[in-house]
Amino acid sequence: MNGWTLTAALVLGGGVGATLWGVATGPLRRRVVAQNLSTALACPALLLLSQGYDRPSYVDLALVLALLGPVGTLVFARLLSGELAGDPPRAQGVTWAAAGLGAAVVLALCVAVGPGRAMAKLLVVGALLVGGNLVASRALSGGFREVSRG
Amino acid sequence: MNRRTRLWLVAAGGGGLAVLLVAACLELPAFGGASHPYGDRAVRASLSRHTANTIASVNFDQRAYDTLGEMTILFAAVLGCVVLLRQTRDEHRARPEPEEVAPPVRRYALVVLPVALLTGLYVIAHGQLSPGGGFQGGVVAATALHLLYLGADYRALERIRPVGRYEVGDAVAASAYVITGLACLIGGTAFLANTVLPYGTFNTLSSGGTVPLLNAAIGMEVACAVVVLLARFLDQAVEIEEESGK
Amino acid sequence: MADAVIVVALLLVAGSATAAVAVRDPVRQALVLAVLGVALAVLFTVLQAPDVALSQLAVGSVLTPLLLLLTVRKVKRRGQRKGREQ
Repeated sequence: MNGWTLTAALVLGGGVGATLWGVATGPLRRRVVAQNLSTALACPALLLLSQGYDRPSYVDLALVLALLGPVGTLVFARLLSGELAGDPPRAQGVTWAAAGLGAAVVLALCVAVGPGRAMAKLLVVGALLVGGNLVASRALSGGFREVSRG
Repeated sequence: MNRRTRLWLVAAGGGGLAVLLVAACLELPAFGGASHPYGDRAVRASLSRHTANTIASVNFDQRAYDTLGEMTILFAAVLGCVVLLRQTRDEHRARPEPEEVAPPVRRYALVVLPVALLTGLYVIAHGQLSPGGGFQGGVVAATALHLLYLGADYRALERIRPVGRYEVGDAVAASAYVITGLACLIGGTAFLANTVLPYGTFNTLSSGGTVPLLNAAIGMEVACAVVVLLARFLDQAVEIEEESGK
Repeated sequence: MADAVIVVALLLVAGSATAAVAVRDPVRQALVLAVLGVALAVLFTVLQAPDVALSQLAVGSVLTPLLLLLTVRKVKRRGQRKGREQ
């Protein structure tokens, strides 16, 4: 067990564990935010695990999660827009904190792998992760306004 | 059968299953041990056929026949959904109301759509080299198309998604798998035996003999199947309404 | 100590699976199910099964929630129509 996997265990236990609590309890607006944060935190954890196991091909997992995680949140934002419209979620602080964690992990890994194709892939994953989760959070707090439904 | 008897029946069945499971678990080798008789043989067979990802070798070479069965299950399941969720005589289609999407969300969907499509194709193409393959890549590619529904509206998705063609593509890909198997039978030794094509250079895109071909067939089959499946669900949820007064 | 990350992943899966059963409303269940999918993907990764993890991520993050929520929407719409007609 090295520092990378230990950090991944901390992110998973602390971060994803907290989002699990958030998604299982409380009002709907808190649950959707917690669902978005769960992918925003699991993706850096997968990157850390890939580095910890020294398996560059595991970065594909983080790539797919960085792409599809925010899309999954868009599904909830779109199909629950009626329920969320009256009571929109506001979670600027935690969303930016999760985005910051993702960016920090990507930067640390970039320093560890050095310049090259692996670094380019990491930067793509980082951009998709941070951009995707910020947009998904925006979509939850009023991204969809239904025109003709009460 | 009254409630009490049914409860006893469930308890007896569940209890028996639990006893069998515990008995099986007690006989398992210890977690994380060093002895992997099946794994060692699978890795050896996979390396001898220049397939870098042993899982792809197991799925599309050593147990390609199992994968044919799995593909048939997906095909039959989607076929069942298509029949079950068709538009019946007492239902009509209503035009879906357009949805107003915030500009950043719309831009995000339009930027990510090609990236996700490309990632799906990348995962399919690299199935024999790195984790992934036809199933995973196919689902990602099919999901990518539905960003048009999430980021724009349903009519935009309908324009690029002629469901009929995807149904044909599904069937063509499924038969391509069988035809590759038959080609192996005619040109090589047995149905789906990986002996026809050259194995290529280890760790390149063209390595692995028939593995990349079967991978591509599965990728197309899964992508088309998911598109058709979601099309039926979306039709039912967004467009089809029961005739009023019935 | 070396297995700490495996223990964490197992606990996450056990917790989210229990929550998915305990939550009764289908919409909220879909949300918990999405988190369960991510937890399962992490578990498969730490057990060195990245192919399975990738399948789980592909299916669990978008496809399952979309199918569930579309079904809920259809059922609700039918309920609303029935309510109007009565």
